[in-house]
Parts: sequence; structure tokens; C-alpha cells
Amino acid sequence: MVKKADKYSPAGLSRKAFIKNAAWTLVGTAIAPTLLKARAADVSGLDSCQNSGDSRRYVLKNVRLETGFEYREGEVVATQTGLFCVEIQGKKILSVKHNEPDATAVDAEGRLMLPAFRDMHIHLDKTFYGDKWQAVRRLPGGVKGMIQLEQEILPDMLKNSVCKAGKLIELLQSKGSAFARSHVNIEPTSKLLSLRHLQAALDDKKQRFGAELVAFPQHGVFYTDTAPYMREAAKAGIDFIGGVDPYTVDGAIERTMDFTVGLALEFDKGIDIHLHETGDSGLRTVDYLIKKVEENPKLKGKTYLSHCFCLARLDQAKQQDIALKLAAAQIGIVSTIPFGGLIMPIPTLLKHKVKVMTGNDSIIDHWSTFGTGSVLEKAHLAAQLYGKRTEFDLSRMLALATAGRTPLDDKGVRIWPAAGDPSDFILMKASCSAEAVARISPVKSLYYQGYKVF
Amino acid sequence: MSEFNNKRQNSYIVKNALLETGFAREESVNGSFIHATTTALQNVSIENGKITRVWSGDIRAEGSEVVDAKGYLMLPAFKDMHVHLDKTLYGLPWQAVSSRRKTIYDMIAYEQQIIPALLKTSTHRAEQLIGLMQSYGTTFARTHFNIEPTSGFRSLENLQKALENVKDQFDADLVAFPQHGVFYTDSAALLTEAAKLDSVRFIGGVDPYGVDRAIEKVLDLTVGLALDNDKGIDIHLHDSGKEGLDTVEYLIRKVEENPSLKGKTFISHAFVLGRLDAKVLSGVAERLAEARIGIVSSIPFAGLVMPIPVLTRHGVQVFAGNDNIQDHWSTFGSGSMLQKAHLMAQLYGWTSEYDLSRAMKFATGNILPLSDDGVRIWPAAGDLAEFVLMEASCSAETVARISPVKAFVHKGNISWAADL
Repeated sequence: MVKKADKYSPAGLSRKAFIKNAAWTLVGTAIAPTLLKARAADVSGLDSCQNSGDSRRYVLKNVRLETGFEYREGEVVATQTGLFCVEIQGKKILSVKHNEPDATAVDAEGRLMLPAFRDMHIHLDKTFYGDKWQAVRRLPGGVKGMIQLEQEILPDMLKNSVCKAGKLIELLQSKGSAFARSHVNIEPTSKLLSLRHLQAALDDKKQRFGAELVAFPQHGVFYTDTAPYMREAAKAGIDFIGGVDPYTVDGAIERTMDFTVGLALEFDKGIDIHLHETGDSGLRTVDYLIKKVEENPKLKGKTYLSHCFCLARLDQAKQQDIALKLAAAQIGIVSTIPFGGLIMPIPTLLKHKVKVMTGNDSIIDHWSTFGTGSVLEKAHLAAQLYGKRTEFDLSRMLALATAGRTPLDDKGVRIWPAAGDPSDFILMKASCSAEAVARISPVKSLYYQGYKVF
Repeated sequence: MSEFNNKRQNSYIVKNALLETGFAREESVNGSFIHATTTALQNVSIENGKITRVWSGDIRAEGSEVVDAKGYLMLPAFKDMHVHLDKTLYGLPWQAVSSRRKTIYDMIAYEQQIIPALLKTSTHRAEQLIGLMQSYGTTFARTHFNIEPTSGFRSLENLQKALENVKDQFDADLVAFPQHGVFYTDSAALLTEAAKLDSVRFIGGVDPYGVDRAIEKVLDLTVGLALDNDKGIDIHLHDSGKEGLDTVEYLIRKVEENPSLKGKTFISHAFVLGRLDAKVLSGVAERLAEARIGIVSSIPFAGLVMPIPVLTRHGVQVFAGNDNIQDHWSTFGSGSMLQKAHLMAQLYGWTSEYDLSRAMKFATGNILPLSDDGVRIWPAAGDLAEFVLMEASCSAETVARISPVKAFVHKGNISWAADL
């Protein structure tokens, strides 16, 4: 979940407050009382860790780290690496030192260390993963048809959603992700049960996987009577207020957006709304959100638009204009990197310093069955789609898989790992970031908060 | 890449093979639609590299050697119909492509520089690349091999050694590929020699306009060599615009003049088809279908999308291939044909059970277990024993999920994933 001093976390929400709220939501649910007790015990354990430091301390040796770029006639032709010892203390990297092959330490065997991956848009609560195969059924009625379908199938899907979410998290881990931003359905059919089940699944993995949660009114805030549940969810351990296509689903941009922004301000949450609308209503939603964030500067840096397909339909000048405004309002874009019919202007967004992150979204569910669970594959896809083929360009694409972190900055100076960085990392069978992105290299080990996941 | 253990086997019965048997329909307000694929566990008898019988029932009375398929889904083995096995960096230290080499002529000059060193280890690396492809269930490839003054016949010879070493598990058709132009470098005599070899199945080529600036002269030579030596044709065509279309039109004309080339002439890439307006495209597709000229595509999706659904609707034979897996042209190839079928399903919006099941044909070289009407057409007695066993419930799932390969079988020889 969100850590107090987590530099990755745009919301910067208090862990303590989260745990308190999360524990509170468990009261009166179908979850066994032992789980509640376990969580109470964890609260004190975590607090003591934060106050007095984590006693877990060890060294990894023969760790391959990127050290710089090799240039020939002005072009980056290779990435230089070296072997190091990396000292870990609890949730932090304590130091990076010259390698000592004979040291008594965990042997990384020359594997490349990279920041652990982060899936920044996924629906862990609502999946067929681990269950029987079924293809997508094309339904009439667009998103409203899908809402009707969900109203029919969710009660059944919820029956084993704790187990399926657990399996899905394991898939993400196997692909190198240590963290996810998961949307979680909040609507009159699921009420808060989808949230509670997901919280139970996450609790089960809490020393192995981190997450931040978006309360997602999938069936509209007003199209179905979801507003009261959203208020309840805002008090129940979530980190972001979500949303979906205010115009298409609720029929009004301002009313829904005012509700969303109001809730985020009242409960000190971030915002992350799904916006698939491609036409004028999509653009008006973006404009309105920018206006609202500019009016409420505390939302800057913790407001996101997921998908935001309308940007793909604009001409280049307009794309640039919106990118500048998004950057100024510090509103990020979370994209699954669509291709084919619609291509997002991600290079333009990045050029204008808009924060761009990626996620798998659906892995296998009634919306899509194509997700692999790998955000490295998303970075690879983006490299292919946007023609990022050279050593330098490939190395930059890694940032999509890590939600922004790269071992080297654009000038080739090592900026990661540094003392004080979170001890969330992977060991890969690859020689450098560029190779990892181009070849979708295998993840050999994953560490989360200093704990070895595998 | 997963490890596989190879075993030579001649005659045996595969039991517990999950085979597709039909489509299941469901009634809805919009009428009936296919919502699932039905399957059954059956036995498949194999003799001398062929399937002799597909049957149900008690296996004990038979007395043959029995192999347990463990309920894994049996599908036709995958075929990579466009790859360059002779010229790969796979297995060498990582090297990204350079932005300095911009034109085909830059690339030719670069190849002339690096090929002598690459040839020293090309047999070994071809074998490694084949190993990668096998791990994804591919047992057959149509591979181009460089024939130009720098390589001479050495790229072919080294590739043949690699193929000889894996022949119990893998097979390939060879395309003599004048990568450096037929005339731009002095390759015509080499190509003519290569065309006479029994081992060479296709006369290749690359952008008669873009490289040699002579569409008719190059194609006349290509077609002549194919006719004289009873070979097929498979030329790379990246040229777009007028010259690209002129090349397609001229090839169609030549094949119509020489009907023996029908069914064995292919255009690889054919990017120009992705740039035509719908009406022109439909006319060209119709004529390609009549001339039985196939299209082989690596399924581009950045900038240019090939009109594959239009081509297949007009009856054009379409194959897919990885092309570059990891070399100085591109480093993005996975080596998996299933990944290509999955990419196509995403690109063309084939999301339903039925559409996904049809997408499988691009991984298998157009062989499917079920016909479009849901009648089982594979495996049948007389089919080659070329198949894979997948951890999946049906073709649709296999394509959508890029399911893992548990075993691949070539000429009846079975290779099991090492964890089994």
C-alpha cells in the first residue's frame, strides 16, 4: 500500500491512516475475524518499523548496475555497466559500493538490477484470471450494455474474487511488478464488497506486493445510485477517487466532475478517472479537469487521466497545447499503449514533461482477454510503436515500466539506485535496460521492500 | 526460453490428447452466437511421421507404445513463414540498431562490413535461434538466406549445417535472397547458381525499384530463374507508392503469363497494399487471388497496418512470420508465431471465441483444427505428425493468452518441455 515517505507515490498518503481505515472497513464484512486480528497486529509492527528502523540488513554482491553511456560520434552505442555490492536495510537501499566477489552476501550472479516494475492501471478486483477461459461477448448498448452485463455477473464473480486477485498479483510479480494502482468497482451491485475482497487479497501479500487503490464508479456516479457508496469508499482505505466517461455514462460532465473533485478535496485523495470518450465531450472533460486542478492546487501531482483517447484525435498543435496545460497542472496520463485504430501521442506528452505511466488494465475479463501482466512488454510495445529502436531511445522507454525511474538520466549519469531509495528492485537476465526493453528479458528475482519475492 | 528434451519416435499412440470437436452456440437477444469451443480427449495413432488414426476408446488392446498427452490441447505445429535464420545476432552480446544507417544502401554497406565476421559463427547462432523458435512450438520455417558477393554461398552452407544438425526436430524451405540487389552488387550470377540447387525452393528478391531501380529487369530475371529451375518466388517488397504498385502489377502479369508459378509465388511485406485506397486495394486483392500469389507479413502495426482482413476476404493466401528476431535490422522479434497471431487478434479486433479461433491459422500456416463451420478437419488420417501440445483449453484461449507450449512434434519425433 502507500508508504509514508514513498517518493514513487504521487498521492503521498499516510500509511497509518490507510491501515486504520482499511481495518475499519473489515468490520461487519464476510471476512473471517482472524484476518482482522492479523491486520491489527500488523499495524503496530509497521509503526515500530517506521519509528525505530528496520533491522533487516543484508548485502547483494555481483549486482550489475548501469554506470553510463558509451558514445561514438555523438551517438549512444552502448550502455556501460559494472558489478557492485548493494546494501539493503529494510525498505531502503543503504549504500552502493564497489563489488566484493568474496564477501559473505547474497550472490546476484551478475544479473542486471533495475527498479521493480509498477503496473499503474489494472483492475485486480474484477478478473477471470485463474478461472475457466471465456472469450469476450460483444454486447449491444456500448458501455451501458456492459454495465448491465456487470450487474448480472458481478455477484458470481465476487464469490471467488479474493482468490483470483491473489493469483493475478502472482502473475504480475512473475513479470517483475512489485506494485499496482488498482481500480476497484464501487457501485450498487458490489457496494463495498469488491474493495473489501481486494483489500483481503492484498493483505495476504502485504510483505510481497504494494498497491494503491482507486474507488472506481464503473456504473456511473449518478447513472446508477453510486454517489453514497463513493463517499463510503472514500473513508474506507482508498487512495484515489476514480471515474468513467462522465458525459457518456452520467450525461453531464460538470456534475460528475464536481462530485469527483469535491470528494478528493474533502478526503484528501488523488483523482484517476477513465476517459475513453474520443470526441468533443472527451476534450471538454480534460479542459474541465485542468481548470478544477488549477483552482485547487493541492490536486496537482496527484490527478490522473487514464486512457484519455481524445488526445489521439487532435491535430499536433492542439496536442501540444493540451500537453503544456497538463504539464502545468501536473496531471498525469496513464495509458495501456493502444495501437491499431488509435495511437496515443505519448512522445509529445513526454516531450512536454507530462507524467506518463502504463498498466495492463484488463488481463483477462469480460472487457478484454489480451493482457499479459507484464509492463515491460508495454514498454517494448511503445518502443516498437513509436520507433524507439536505438540504445538511447530503448533505455528511455524503461521509464514506462517503472513509472518513471531509470538507472541513468538522459545524460548517462547514474541516478539509481542511490542510498535512501526504496528497496524495490528486480534482477534480470539482461545486459542493460535497452536490451531488457527490446528483448522483454526474463525477470529472475523480485524484491519488494527488501523482501525477496522470488 | 524453455528447455525441451528431444526423443526420436516412430510408431506410437498419443492418448489423452485434447482435440477440438466443434463450436458451442448460445441463444441471445441478438440471435445465436458461438460462445465456446467443444473438445474431447482422444487417441491419435502415429506411424512413420504421419497420423494414421484419430479415435476414442480403450487403448490397452492396441499393443503399441503409448505417449500420454496429459490432457494438453493438440494443435498443428507452428510455421514461421518469413525469417532470416542465416543472419542473426541472437546469442551474441546485445547490440541495438543504429540511427546512423538510414537507407537500404547504408544497410548494404554495413552488411558488407560485418558479414565476414558473422559467418564465422553463423551455424551455431542459427541453431540457437531455431531452439528459440522451437521453444515456442515452431517446427517449420521458410527462411531467406543471403546470396551476394560478400557471403557467396557461405551463408547458405552454414545454414544448411545448422538445419542438418536439427533435422529430426525442425525443417525449413530455403529462399535464395539477393539482399544487396541483383545488379546493385554483382549478384545475378550467384543467384543463377543458387537457383540450380535442389535445396533451394524459392527465388527471392528485394525492392526491384528501391535497390536496383529496375522493376522489369529484376523481375524478368527472377521469374526466368524460377521457371527454368522449377522453383517458387518469394520477394521482399517494402517499396510503397507507384513503384511498389508497379512491382505488384508486373508480378501478377508475369504469373498470369506463366501459370506454373500460380500457388508458389509470394510477396513478403507488400507494404504498398497498406497504402492503397479501398477500391484500388480490392481490385489488386482480387487479382492476387486469381494469380494465386500469396502475401507473407510480419504484421507491422507502427504507422502502417496491413489490410489482412481485406486480403483474406478476397481469397488471398496470407502467411505470417517473425522476420527479424534480433539482428542489425530490428531487435524486436519474439520468435513466437503465437505472439504474431495474438498481435493480429488485437490489431484487427478479433476478440470473440470464433474470431480468435480463426486467428490461429496465422501461427500454423493456415491449418486449423475446425473449419469455419465448426467441423473438425485436423488432425485426420494422412496428416503429417507435426503438432504441439499446449496448456490451454482451445485455440481461442491459446491465441488470446499466448499459452505455453508443453511439447512439439516434428515428423513424429516428440520433444517435451523439460519440466514434464
